[in-house]
Amino acid sequence: MQQTVLTNLFENLRLELRRGCLILAVLAQLREEHYGYALRKALADRGMAIDENTLYPLLRRLESQGLLVSEWREEEKRNKRFYRLSGDGQQILDRLLEEWHSINASLTRIVEGPVMA
Amino acid sequence: MELLSRYLHAVRFWLPKPQQEDIIAELGEDLRSQVEEREAAIGRPLDEDGVAAILRQRGHPMLVAGGYLPQRSLIGPAVFPAYRFVLRLVIGWILTPVFVLVVGPATVLTSRNPSAALIWTAWTLVMAAVFAFGVITLVFAILERYPFETTFQWNPRRLPRVPPAKAAIGPRRVSRFTGIAEVLAGICASLIWIDIARFPMSLEVHGVDIAAAPIWHSFFWPILLVTLARAAAGLITWLRPWWIRARLWTILAADAVTLVLIGALASMGPWVLVAAPGLPAAGVASANHWANVGVGICLSVAWIVTLVNAVRAARRLVKTR
Repeated sequence: MQQTVLTNLFENLRLELRRGCLILAVLAQLREEHYGYALRKALADRGMAIDENTLYPLLRRLESQGLLVSEWREEEKRNKRFYRLSGDGQQILDRLLEEWHSINASLTRIVEGPVMA
Repeated sequence: MELLSRYLHAVRFWLPKPQQEDIIAELGEDLRSQVEEREAAIGRPLDEDGVAAILRQRGHPMLVAGGYLPQRSLIGPAVFPAYRFVLRLVIGWILTPVFVLVVGPATVLTSRNPSAALIWTAWTLVMAAVFAFGVITLVFAILERYPFETTFQWNPRRLPRVPPAKAAIGPRRVSRFTGIAEVLAGICASLIWIDIARFPMSLEVHGVDIAAAPIWHSFFWPILLVTLARAAAGLITWLRPWWIRARLWTILAADAVTLVLIGALASMGPWVLVAAPGLPAAGVASANHWANVGVGICLSVAWIVTLVNAVRAARRLVKTR
């Protein structure tokens, strides 16, 4: 297989793998209130860079699903929209984290365990 | 910042009205924060090129707006296989063969300008295919939006049988090529028969006029039925080569009808009429006699050949039980 094809394939699979993790990262980061730009910076600082065109629609979707609440507030003489996790969002986050830990443990066992014929 | 305002205006155009203000306010705020951060990094206000670079990196206004819209597909992955199957069936297996094998030849053969008729047929096929594509897409788009409750209710016991492997079918299987040839032959024979029946054929050789007797007209529908049945047998072989018994039953039925038809025809002669205004009556009568003897022999041979075919089909039918 050509290197370019392999690279493209890897990129697609990487994006697929990250998609679910991004939601988890956003929900976890919003246990603390952030506005969009600050949230993106905070996630990038922790190694989870996210494209703006992905983040803002995702925030709206999570809010419409009742997992986030938002409000417009003035800060540094500019109106900003602040997001934080809702009560339902906290519950969902706890369950998702539990699931994520379970998947992580299983994957570790599969990857590090002996290969069965 | 004029460039930024123009960008936001362009994004707004693609957004649903109720959310326009909210999304544009947040997007504008994010872009301004990004500009400020860049200005802080370089220590001077950004020029137009700098702002343009940020906007270019953000993406085309339509794509940015598209990210906020609900992800919808006209035909979703759940119904797509069925959609593709119906499209292939209607356009590839019904429309195209009908136009290529029936409409095209019929139009070309009966037209005074065959090349114009051919172009008309091709154009009509394209238009019919486009129309079918549109209608099928519309139906499946509706199914996508409003799926029937029963759409995905299914019973494993009702799944179709697995067609037998080639090895299991063995040498009795007839090739698809033969099937296609039979379809073409059956359709051509039907068209020729229709043409002969519509425009009674007569042949004039050196002042002698040979014409089919009116008796043939009373056999129009049975003969057409037989030629179409043979095309149907070919169609079965072409599309479902493993339906051996269905093919054999169709052939057997066509052969049985053919035997009866030939028998009826044979008992009803004369089959051709010879007229020759310039010849003596005795000569014309003799010509009539020998012409009909020839047709009688042909009918007898056809009857024997059909009988042999019918017996072979019946034996195969017994073997494939």
